[in-house]
Amino acid sequence: MTAAPMTATPMNSPILWIHGAALGPANPALVAWPGRPAVFVFDDALIAGSALSLKRLGFLYECLLELPVTIRRGDVASEVLAFAARHQADGVVTTAAVDPRFRQLGQAIAARVPLTVLPVEPFVAPEAGGPQPGDLGRFSRYWRRAEPLVWQRFKG
Amino acid sequence: MQSGDSLPELAPGDLPRQFTSRAALQQHLQQLFPSASGALSPIVGGWAAAQERLAAVDPGAYGRSRNHLAGAVTHLSPYIRHGVLGLAAVRDAVLGRITRRPEGEKLVNELGWRDYWQRLWGQLGDGIWDDQEPLKTGHPASSYASELPADIAGGSTGLACMDAFAAELRATGWLHNHARMWLAAYVVHWRRVRWQAGARWFLQHLLDGDPASNNLSWQWVASSFSHKPYLFNRANLERFGAGHHCQGCPAARRCPFDASYEALEQRLFAVTPTPRRR
Repeated sequence: MTAAPMTATPMNSPILWIHGAALGPANPALVAWPGRPAVFVFDDALIAGSALSLKRLGFLYECLLELPVTIRRGDVASEVLAFAARHQADGVVTTAAVDPRFRQLGQAIAARVPLTVLPVEPFVAPEAGGPQPGDLGRFSRYWRRAEPLVWQRFKG
Repeated sequence: MQSGDSLPELAPGDLPRQFTSRAALQQHLQQLFPSASGALSPIVGGWAAAQERLAAVDPGAYGRSRNHLAGAVTHLSPYIRHGVLGLAAVRDAVLGRITRRPEGEKLVNELGWRDYWQRLWGQLGDGIWDDQEPLKTGHPASSYASELPADIAGGSTGLACMDAFAAELRATGWLHNHARMWLAAYVVHWRRVRWQAGARWFLQHLLDGDPASNNLSWQWVASSFSHKPYLFNRANLERFGAGHHCQGCPAARRCPFDASYEALEQRLFAVTPTPRRR
């Protein structure tokens, strides 16, 4: 997973930024900081720019209703920063995502408060012999590298 | 409707977390996002729903029947897309459910596709919206229309199969992968529309939509991310679609898909590549 800028600043009372690529209870930020205030922001610019249908927003909303998270809408970075101020937080913790928009938002947040980006468990462990960036030209090449590592976990 | 265990206190601007029904949630969303089209999907979001889907996964049946519209596909994609279920957790659930490796190979391979598309997205960033390679159809990229024709999105082409797929996409936000491929091939090759227009349309609706799997699959169909364009014909659609679209189709007698692959290549492409079939 590609990470946004990561800081090593120790935090005592961060808020958690929950985004649309990590809407489960196993979200590493929720697991690492149980009980800390968490926020999800519906991204108005993205929703308008992509003309997202109500189905997609409803699916996200239903996921959020099962998580201990405050739900907001608007400009994501501004809302996350305001939520951090509201809770006198000393930083923001979130979970890695591939989406380049996540990287941009992470940079905007990290410019104002310390941001920690936690990794998610990878599908293929980053071991020797695993897929490299140069193996992505076609799936077959990636899979030749990845498949043996994935199946190492099978104990059948 | 359940909310989280430790409910946050609502401050001004916080959105509500308590709804008496899905209809109430839908009404709330319609007020909140008046420009967002349509209604809720029958597919319910959340971890509890994801667990039900995961419990129902039958890797062996998936491997045997997944290419058929009525096959034992998992419907996990929206939950994986939004991280309700991690890809590694699904992998472990599948590996823990099979006794012999062949039972799980197709499904594990399909999870691998998700990982592959995500890695490519990480490399390409927003370049995922650009052709990765020249098209192999013999047509210049400039000859493809940049907008999706209204009859396709509106489900009024008169082709029962394509109209049914468009209606299902709009109503549910989910389509079987084979239906996605047929619809994409129809848009790009039969209607000569740029794949980006189709990809944008899918992302508006698909609950599992992200530019990684979506755009690169459209590019695979279009041939800007494959050695050959993807084509299908009526026999292929009838075989994997159980044939029910063609019964009563107003265009059954002038079906644009009712031809051999060789004839379709001649008709649709300016060169004669051997199309990819799946």
